[in-house]
Amino acid sequence: MATDGLHENETLASLKMEAESLKGKLEEERAKLHDVELHQVAERVEALGQFVMKTRRTLKGHGNKVLCMDWCKDKRRIVSSSQDGKVIVWDSFTTNKEHAVTMPCTWVMACAYAPSGCAIACGGLDNKCSVYPLTFDKNENMAAKKKSVAMHTNYLSACSFTNSDMQILTASGDGTCALWDVESGQLLQSFHGHGADVLCLDLAPSETGNTFVSGGCDKKAMVWDMRSGQCVQAFETHESDINSVRYYPSGDAFASGSDDATCRLYDLRADREVAIYSKESIIFGASSVDFSLSGRLLFAGYNDYTINVWDVLKGARVSILFGHENRVSTLRVSPDGTAFCSGSWDHTLRVWA
Amino acid sequence: MSSKVAVGSDIGQARRTVEQLRMEAGIDRVKAADLLQFCTEQAKSDPFLVGIPAATNPFKEKKPCAIL
Repeated sequence: MATDGLHENETLASLKMEAESLKGKLEEERAKLHDVELHQVAERVEALGQFVMKTRRTLKGHGNKVLCMDWCKDKRRIVSSSQDGKVIVWDSFTTNKEHAVTMPCTWVMACAYAPSGCAIACGGLDNKCSVYPLTFDKNENMAAKKKSVAMHTNYLSACSFTNSDMQILTASGDGTCALWDVESGQLLQSFHGHGADVLCLDLAPSETGNTFVSGGCDKKAMVWDMRSGQCVQAFETHESDINSVRYYPSGDAFASGSDDATCRLYDLRADREVAIYSKESIIFGASSVDFSLSGRLLFAGYNDYTINVWDVLKGARVSILFGHENRVSTLRVSPDGTAFCSGSWDHTLRVWA
Repeated sequence: MSSKVAVGSDIGQARRTVEQLRMEAGIDRVKAADLLQFCTEQAKSDPFLVGIPAATNPFKEKKPCAIL
């Protein structure tokens, strides 16, 4: 293995030097098209008015930190998972709990709603991603129909169904992402490249094609081709773990939230960072980010218990929302953009509109 | 594990890194996507920007009505 295909002048040192010079070339290439910053281009855009956003619903029921949540396509139901090992499906209009399942592990760090609304996926410290069909039959035990789909060698940090109920994409503390067939549990593709735990992922809007973005403890955000398993673009401008990544609604860009207390916007076609959302007064990490329908607003939940609302184009903060009594750990805008939901270590979820 | 194998995997890793960087440096780059245009076009259909009256937003309370 050591001598396999080793060229005469190819040593570890020469490869490392080449890597460094390629990194320099990459920066040069990116800078070539760097005309102006996004906020400069957006100078003429009308400023946003005042926003009145309040907590309209509080979902209480988890016995410990809420770690993840997802909306159902019906714009009404929400699935959430917690450190207490429970996964709950709520009707956000009435705040009623419709389903609840207890996982065999604590720290259920990931959960997702199936596109059909008929199943949910979740996992965490069990290193797996399991799918539970949702049934309204009171006699049926939800846990009985559980299907184990994904197996990683470390904790599951994120999961998402693709366009159908048939495939699931997962991210793990083992440093990889993977695509699985739900029915057979077969591994369809694996994605290697992160140098540390992968903490988050987001699928490109279906019109944009078969890619997804992931963020990790190696401070990198990586864009992957789902068919080939190849990393097509990588961005390393954050100064700490990337906790959350989310595509811009057009699919041409994505935002990230990091422990370095900043959120950033990356343009995929120009292959560079185009905006940083930060303030000197914000010193706690951003745990979760999502865009409003038009992409003009970026909602970000932070470890200092607040939610900051950013004007994506101008780079300014337009609102700060208080209410949670501990870290905000998860945040998603509803499918029709009329509200967003945040989950927190204070055991509750809040719906804001 | 002999040191030869360890060096081998380091070289393999370094080689993969160089190949990946070569690929990334070679991709086509275009001017920044018109995020501005997208935002402006979609602004009218963004409930947070346009505002939804309490009557139609299922999350907002409707004005209380008095039963006479």
